[in-house]
Amino acid sequence: MPLAEAFPIPNPYQPSLMRIDDFFDETSDVRTLRLRFVDGDEEREFSGWEPGQFGQFTVFGAGESVFALANQPWRPNGNSEDTPIIECTFRAIGKVTHALRDMSEGQVIGFRGPYGNHFPIDDWLGKDLVFIGGGIGMAALRSALLDVIDRKQEFGDVVILNGARSVADMVYTEEMPRWQDVDGVRVVRTVDPGGETEDWDGEVGLLPNVFEGLNLEPDGRIVVACGPPIMLHYLFLSLGKTGYSPEQVVTTLENKMKCGIGHCGRCYVGPFSVCRDGPVVTWAELNELPKDY
Amino acid sequence: MDRTQWLLTESQLREWVRSLLDAGNSVVAPVEEDGVLLFRPLTSEERAILAPSGKTRWSPKEFLFPRSEPLYRYTLDGGEVEIENPPAPQRPQVLFGVRSCDAGGLLRLDEIFLSGTKDPLYAARRESTTVVSMACAAADPECFCTAVGGSPVGEEGSDLQLVPLEEGWLLRVLTEKGEALFGDVDERWQDAPAAIAKEVEKLERRVAGQIERSPVKQEWSKTLEDGFEHEAWDRLAQHCLGCSVCAYVCPSCSCFDMNHEANAWCGEQCRSWDACTFAIFTHHASGHNPRSTHQERYRQRVLHKFAFKAEDDEPFRCVGCGRCVALCPAGLDIVDTVTAAVAAIREEGADAAR
Repeated sequence: MPLAEAFPIPNPYQPSLMRIDDFFDETSDVRTLRLRFVDGDEEREFSGWEPGQFGQFTVFGAGESVFALANQPWRPNGNSEDTPIIECTFRAIGKVTHALRDMSEGQVIGFRGPYGNHFPIDDWLGKDLVFIGGGIGMAALRSALLDVIDRKQEFGDVVILNGARSVADMVYTEEMPRWQDVDGVRVVRTVDPGGETEDWDGEVGLLPNVFEGLNLEPDGRIVVACGPPIMLHYLFLSLGKTGYSPEQVVTTLENKMKCGIGHCGRCYVGPFSVCRDGPVVTWAELNELPKDY
Repeated sequence: MDRTQWLLTESQLREWVRSLLDAGNSVVAPVEEDGVLLFRPLTSEERAILAPSGKTRWSPKEFLFPRSEPLYRYTLDGGEVEIENPPAPQRPQVLFGVRSCDAGGLLRLDEIFLSGTKDPLYAARRESTTVVSMACAAADPECFCTAVGGSPVGEEGSDLQLVPLEEGWLLRVLTEKGEALFGDVDERWQDAPAAIAKEVEKLERRVAGQIERSPVKQEWSKTLEDGFEHEAWDRLAQHCLGCSVCAYVCPSCSCFDMNHEANAWCGEQCRSWDACTFAIFTHHASGHNPRSTHQERYRQRVLHKFAFKAEDDEPFRCVGCGRCVALCPAGLDIVDTVTAAVAAIREEGADAAR
């Protein structure tokens, strides 16, 4: 019997190599990396990408971590580029992320992806949008957010609610003024009570409370939210109370993942494989799943 | 395909195994090592246990999905990284003497590794593997294949099937892949008479009759999902030790972990068996754990086998080999668990309706 050829199908676990082009420290433990493919072929393979997808990032010798693709790879500065640039924002919290933060410009890491489904941005055309990000949850929203801001004329009013535990923990502070400058975009920043500083000029309050205080009528509006499980729990209560229907609310499920292709079994929520069927879900879809996330 | 079937003597059967080895196949069959029945690559046809008493300690899944294997290797040279694929299988493989339940387990693995993005390592091994199953001459005390839709002479997942009968071994060809496994060895074999089918039915009835477990019903899947948050799970899972032996011996459990094994110069991305019953399986770096208690983890394993299906008529992910029942140090029995969970959930439903 003939043997199967060595690798008749591509090895999905083998990462592409990317070089750290630049990085930016958002907070004392959160960093945004800017990455370019080392090999030109891999750039071409990367053509199919949508906001909301994620990747597996490898530190050789340490392991892999999952981060959202935090930008528009083909329009990294709002201008079209010949080669894609991937940005990811991560907190140094475990073995791999600490090792990644110890790396500097010019060093090589691995990337595989993009994986998962994506934000249904085409369904939002003409509608008012609210992006609500808690802490590093903003990273999962940033790709969609930048895409919407880039094509602002195709959407209604946009409110961006960026919340953090404290002023020092707030991400994307450098670029929020640029978002605010776009006509029809309003940025609201808030920190948890006790997290403010003397010269803090944003809101003070938990995200769900601040959201309620904005009095945004649910009428046709889409809410896109990402943050820690406890924040989402209270945010959904607030959304229900203020008349939002579960179909109007989009979030991302953030589970522990390893393979990224629906095989390793780690990210299941009932029959739902977060890496393959998610990570983007509506609140309505979430209600159909067992409370196991 | 016309069903080809022969009746073989023991010496003919061993001669066939010999010919498979001579043809360059890796033939993996039950052998006895230190009093334990295990699947091992044969060095000689004489070592194969053709009429085992009991089943192998481990299922044959590790010969398609190894306990540990590199997914790719890399070398670090200065700041540069070189990546290479691991070696592909060098020889065709025959899984010989696989019980019907275990052969069904391989199909459950196929569903995971060959659907969507195919796993190239699994696919390469699967492609070069032929499964010769062995119907059961007797049920073990822990067996419950008939309770989950299987049979002691089930053909699911087999390319060829051996049926142990008083007259000898009936060998049936079930797939084209199975047909391709003969050289000229079969020329001297005796065709089995058509009436042999009656003997097979008799065997099936006799062995199935030894299994005294009431069936797990398809409609229980929905009941189990509806009762996800039922308090009975606390009680049902309280004996679970979280050792995960159930997942390791399971022919259909396929969860795995991935970790880098490396030094300063080189390393590999290593895949190894893992289990949803371990506490860190779903533990986020943030500290959040969706399944922070062993009750939640045990429930996940049970429901993944018997609920959470895409279609109502999809088969269970449990094939009823019973290894998890026989080897659980806490004496947990997955059939008893689902039966009790369904009863508790329904009782509450009935109370609510009153």
